[in-house]
Amino acid sequence: MKKYRLALVIMVALSMILMLAAGCGTSQPASEPEGAGDEASEGTSEETVDVKVGTVGPLTGGAATYGESVRNAVQIALEEANENKEIPGVNLVLVSEDSEGDWSKAANAFSKLIDQDGVNVIVGAVLSSETAAGGPIVMEGKVPTISPSSTATDLTVGNPYLFRNCLSDEVQASQLAEYAIAELGFKRFAILYTNNDYGVALKDAFEATAKEKAEVVAVEAFMDGDEHFRPQLTSIQQKNPDAIFIAGYYTEAGKIAQQAAEQGISAQLLGADGFYSPVLVEIGEQAVEGAIFTAGFFSADPNPVVQSFVTRYTELFGEEPDMFAAQAYDATRIVIEAMKKYGTDRESIREGLAQTKDFPGITGLTSIDEEGDTIKDVLILKVENGTFQRLR
Amino acid sequence: MISAYYLQIIILVGINIIMASSLNLVVGYTGQLSIGHAAFMSLGAYVSAIVTLQTGLPFIVSLLLGAAVAGLFGILIGIPTLRLKGDYLAIATLGFGEIIRIIFLNLKITGGAVGLRGIPKETTLLWVIGVTLLSLFVLQRIINSRVGRALIAIREDETAAESMGINTTYYKTLAFGVGAFFAGLGGGLFAHYFRYIHPNVFGFMRSIEQLCMVVLGGLGNMWGAIIGATALTAIPELLRAGAEYRLLVYGAILVLMMRARPQGLLGESIGQTGGRSLKRRKTLFTKIKLFRRNK
Repeated sequence: MKKYRLALVIMVALSMILMLAAGCGTSQPASEPEGAGDEASEGTSEETVDVKVGTVGPLTGGAATYGESVRNAVQIALEEANENKEIPGVNLVLVSEDSEGDWSKAANAFSKLIDQDGVNVIVGAVLSSETAAGGPIVMEGKVPTISPSSTATDLTVGNPYLFRNCLSDEVQASQLAEYAIAELGFKRFAILYTNNDYGVALKDAFEATAKEKAEVVAVEAFMDGDEHFRPQLTSIQQKNPDAIFIAGYYTEAGKIAQQAAEQGISAQLLGADGFYSPVLVEIGEQAVEGAIFTAGFFSADPNPVVQSFVTRYTELFGEEPDMFAAQAYDATRIVIEAMKKYGTDRESIREGLAQTKDFPGITGLTSIDEEGDTIKDVLILKVENGTFQRLR
Repeated sequence: MISAYYLQIIILVGINIIMASSLNLVVGYTGQLSIGHAAFMSLGAYVSAIVTLQTGLPFIVSLLLGAAVAGLFGILIGIPTLRLKGDYLAIATLGFGEIIRIIFLNLKITGGAVGLRGIPKETTLLWVIGVTLLSLFVLQRIINSRVGRALIAIREDETAAESMGINTTYYKTLAFGVGAFFAGLGGGLFAHYFRYIHPNVFGFMRSIEQLCMVVLGGLGNMWGAIIGATALTAIPELLRAGAEYRLLVYGAILVLMMRARPQGLLGESIGQTGGRSLKRRKTLFTKIKLFRRNK
């Protein structure tokens, strides 16, 4: 009886190893999208080389909308480059991997892209914790990686292969604080932040800048996914601030605005790029009217490059691109420019990314500094009649 | 030469085997439903990572310190909660797991919501294989000892075990502490492999995943925990080609598995443990209980 069971165990273990071996053989071609490959082959007869571009981000789980936006935008940028034959003899192929919003699974995705798929560059990851976990892996694998949305402090420092194309939390929060004090004349601020890396970084920078020339009268925290904000709002209300800075994402911000309005709080609402989504108005309705926030992208911008991206994205995916999509599109464009100027191998792309200066993207003029961080203008938007208007 | 990706999966399989087999001691052998196992993993991960970062002590010392703290917490948590049974214990351990996660999310020393970066890479394949084999050996020795028999007796019938002179609270706490210790070891290896830790992967879903490994493999079977951990670590990676649909397939596999083999891949069905004698024993003790109550 015991011997029989041991044999069973060995058989199951063996079949699993076989499955693993078989899995790696078949998964590679299946993970390539079909669209990108066909178009290049029908045009001219000249030979093209496939260059793989990977993405890592949550495609399932609570943060899936961000990951999907990023993947969709990268797909558009690659398709455009292939259609216009921007890089002669090169066909760009997208390989996108899911992280489930879990950084340890993002680490698996990074390793898979580097070792199994042999990508030359990665656009990702989406969440800061995912990029932080991927950092050591891309450095070891020497694969240039540009995150379109990971805003955590010092993320790219000390890692020559890690770049990002997004507004750092410090820059936008301190610029917003300066604007609110100088242009809007506010004196008393309250801060309501979501207790994750994003919220904490925004809160710290806003608080530091605001304290120099004005007063911060209340600082309250909430958690991602919270529904009720009455306790925090009540204690903020007692301090009677001129403005409330909500350092969080649009879902919670919309609910906070609603509950603040119901509670009779009339203070000006301020926010950061986490506000930028039509969902903010859908959830917040009248309560978010007049809210002022920083953003890296404004889809109603009359710039034709912006409009062509917005049109194409809306046609393909049935919704307007959000900030994640816009930054991912620019990140991919920066990668393509680097390939055009320096070459398509990993080291050349890395060199090209590091040299990026005044790239005219849909999220504004972008440069990359010596630490791999982004330098770009901060837009300031306002909610007017349920739509966004640009203030600065 | 094995690719870094496969190496990473093998290392994760090893860590998950430690997690599943240590949870098996608590859930499978002692019959105490715990869904806060990831909390002990996070304790081991954070304590060992902080010790390495702050003091620069050798890896083995920080790993053992992390495991010891996790084990200590296992005992501390075990003493009050193990008086609860079944569902109540499950809820209590779930609550404990969330408390630990939130504490790590708010402490300064753990890097809070930013996470802990720059942990030196100490975990190698050799370390993982060594620690996994050692954990399995120790757990197996415990199960085959007098202690193990006591634990199984508690699972089979707590009242009967107590009437036979087994100090059930002591043995349950012991199992909980030992399980937590090995979970801490797994956490330490995890932290020093990824070089980065953030509380959000040690949440309730991770605990459930580890419970799934044990149940899928077969409760109360060490080989089962090994197979369950291997399967549930490898399947999501094998299904990567399925993009967004892979978790759907993963879920379907779990549902089908539980339908076809509710006792798990290698779990013992009721018949194998001698269901009739068990039943007879149970009725006997019910009679004794009734007898006592009537007296």
